[in-house]
Amino acid sequence: MTRVIDARGVAKDYPYGGEAVHALRGVDLGVDAGEWISIVGPSGCGKSSLLNLLAGIDAPSSGTVELLGRPLHALREAERSRLRLREVGFVFQRFHLLAVLTAQENVELPMSEAGIGRAERRGRARELLEFVGLGHRVKHRPPHLSGGEQQRVAIARALANRPRVLFADEPTGELDRRTGEEILALFQRVNAEGTTMVMVTHDPGVAARAERTVEMADGLVVRDSGAKGGS
Amino acid sequence: MIVGASLRALFRRRGRTSLALAGIAVSAALLLDMTMLASGLTASFGELLGSRGYALRATPKGILPFDSDATIRDADGVAARMAAVPGVTRVARVLGAQMWRMDARGAAEPLFTVGIDRTAQFLYTLTAGADPGAGEVLVSEPMARTDGLRVGDRVRLATGMDASLGRARDLRDYRVSGIGDFVYNYAGQRSLAMELGEVRRLTGRPNEASLMAVAGAPGVSDDSLARRITAAVPAVSTYSTRELMGEMDKRLLYFRQMATILGSIAVVVTALLVSTIVTIGVRERFGEIATLRAVGVARRRILAGIVAEGVALATIGCALGLPLGLWMAGRLDTILRAFPGLPARLSFFAWDAGRVSLAMGTVALIGALAGCIPGWGAVRSPLGQALREEAE
Repeated sequence: MTRVIDARGVAKDYPYGGEAVHALRGVDLGVDAGEWISIVGPSGCGKSSLLNLLAGIDAPSSGTVELLGRPLHALREAERSRLRLREVGFVFQRFHLLAVLTAQENVELPMSEAGIGRAERRGRARELLEFVGLGHRVKHRPPHLSGGEQQRVAIARALANRPRVLFADEPTGELDRRTGEEILALFQRVNAEGTTMVMVTHDPGVAARAERTVEMADGLVVRDSGAKGGS
Repeated sequence: MIVGASLRALFRRRGRTSLALAGIAVSAALLLDMTMLASGLTASFGELLGSRGYALRATPKGILPFDSDATIRDADGVAARMAAVPGVTRVARVLGAQMWRMDARGAAEPLFTVGIDRTAQFLYTLTAGADPGAGEVLVSEPMARTDGLRVGDRVRLATGMDASLGRARDLRDYRVSGIGDFVYNYAGQRSLAMELGEVRRLTGRPNEASLMAVAGAPGVSDDSLARRITAAVPAVSTYSTRELMGEMDKRLLYFRQMATILGSIAVVVTALLVSTIVTIGVRERFGEIATLRAVGVARRRILAGIVAEGVALATIGCALGLPLGLWMAGRLDTILRAFPGLPARLSFFAWDAGRVSLAMGTVALIGALAGCIPGWGAVRSPLGQALREEAE
């Protein structure tokens, strides 16, 4: 299996009131292509911090992170940004769709930034919205969509540039159980088509849908259901 | 797409944006008016000076036109020497004096009277009758209108008043030869024109002139002609229109200072309005902006969108402020031109496309800079921290 994420000895400190808060204290984690892992743990254990480091949103205070063979710790912000645009997808708890754009335009946006022509991106956006079950809502703006529908649009947006890795931070956190189940079923389909998934959740029930669970506490990985000795 | 989305976001809050645009429009209108005011009076004065084809003015040494009662001595000789200067085509002599018009009850009204050279006069445009000859006067339009004077009527004039007795001296009757539109009169001014020789005789100044106006041949530079006249006739001061405008500029320094101060205030208010609206918009969309950055949209592209908001606000505000500013300039001009002592044809506000474009361009630039400040803050904040704050 190809390793798509390789984190070694990753630590992250945040300054707070003149002191350093140790959010992560030396995490080792490897993720292979096609895997779906859940990072679970109580609030404040460092799981979102870890996700941000693995995805190249933040830089570690120490340690190294390789994403798709690229050393994130050595890349400049602009390079990390390009990598995120072309190779990585994101789904956030609060959807964060652009309220002034239609569902279709929201999905088109990352493709437009990647330089894909209008006709091609329009076709793919419609295809993706069909995939997430919103083919009939392409012209609707986010304020006119339900929470579940907005999250589906966010997933379609995350898949726009055919990412190899999809990161999701509490993707069902704002949804009711039934809608959350629908979103997880959608993730299952995305993963089944070969996309590597890294999902952060505090809900053990949601985490159980992934094939591998990484449990965190106090900035450390305390259990990894898929550990092969290293973690 | 990002810029388009930013601009659409600007108009998502229509009420707030409309209020801001109204404020920017008022500021832009004020800036436009101050820009027009800064040079308006001088430019208008220059146009007025040259409007009758006489680009130069010659006055008693060191005196500006009608700045004092001083006169040019040996005026006819001076005029002849000026006319002999190569490039000079006409020399018009003018002598200013005060006369009193006596009404039927014996009340005296002082009237500014000019003695003009019938063959070269530049002070009025004839609207009825003819130029004044011997025993005749030409009256200004307001005087003809208010007194019901017509060509052929008679007016009684005195050349002086005995202050101790309160009695007029040297009373004479004159026939109204014509009615004129006086170029340099203030609004509603009642004044007279008489033949130069008559004024000289009445005032006991047989060969004097208050000023002379000189016309140059086509293609001859006013400044070089003024220098040549000064060399040929050193007893007088000769001013080109440009030099007189320069003198006017010096006297109107306070106008320019006021225009600069008010214009600067307008620029600062515009900057504050734009940056406030853009800052609020950026704060409201902080999560959206952080998400855009997270999905890989380049920081410069996001910044361009935010700067475009500032430019759009400033530009639309300018477009709205332009007609408002022109309307305000018209109203203010009407008020200011009614000041006594100022020629009614002078305009305080001059449309100068170059200056106006520069002022409006400055507002657009201010909009861009005002957008840069919140935009820079939004795209430079640590991304991880921004996402965490949004999730909390």
